[in-house]
Amino acid sequence: MSKPGSPPKRARKAPSDKAFDLWLDQGLHAMFDEVAKEPIPEELLRLIEQDRNNK
Amino acid sequence: MPLPQDDQAEATMVDSAPEVSFHDLLVAALPALRQQALALTRNRADADDLVQTSVSSALAAQTSFQPGTNFGAWMARILRNRFLSNMRRRREIVDIEDAPASLLARSGGQEEGLAIQQLRHLIGKLPADHRLVLIMISVQGLSYEEASEQLNVPVGTLKCRVSRARAMLRRWLLGDDEAPKPRVTAPKTRARASVPAHALSALPAAPVMAKLGRDNGEAQLERR
Repeated sequence: MSKPGSPPKRARKAPSDKAFDLWLDQGLHAMFDEVAKEPIPEELLRLIEQDRNNK
Repeated sequence: MPLPQDDQAEATMVDSAPEVSFHDLLVAALPALRQQALALTRNRADADDLVQTSVSSALAAQTSFQPGTNFGAWMARILRNRFLSNMRRRREIVDIEDAPASLLARSGGQEEGLAIQQLRHLIGKLPADHRLVLIMISVQGLSYEEASEQLNVPVGTLKCRVSRARAMLRRWLLGDDEAPKPRVTAPKTRARASVPAHALSALPAAPVMAKLGRDNGEAQLERR
């Protein structure tokens, strides 16, 4: 038990929680990394470049 | 008074550092914006539309951006506002299952692909604001403070959302609520027994999870 006035101790995660968190993070990366690595659509880049050239 | 030589060199470097233009910042922010848009919309086509309209809004409002302030935060707010405005207009979202197959994981073989498919389906069931912050923290690697600045939401609220999102996914995937307590006969086996085997086997990710649980348990036991 923590002493009065001392910050509460952080509960330690069970190994199964850690395993799940690890698996979840890997899954999220598998799902979302791809979109960030893909080339930016030409149309989008053109939109930005057009605006840059108009300045 | 003349500056010491080192300071002079530094001052020259700062003066001559090329100024990053608004458009350069915008292009550099696009990969992260696309991830955030996918997290919000759950659908690739909608995510592309959301990024495109957000970029148009940003270009139209570029004079309101103050150079030297956080560009990522400025863009994230535009993206989120556009999303909320679209939601209000449409009041419906294309289901995650309509996501093109190209979004599914291509590595790790069939079992991992099925697990990701299941995870993708369940992530689509999380509230959009939970999903977004989960991606910002777990995938984009932002600190809670950075995410808080970008979303203009207190750190405590964000921590709560991430924790709740993880707990929901865990419950849906492993069915912890229904799972009977594992029988533990000796304290030394507690670490391994705490992963309910039947719950793991019900999950498409069973082989991956079981291995992770086993590795984790073994690592714990080895340390003793």
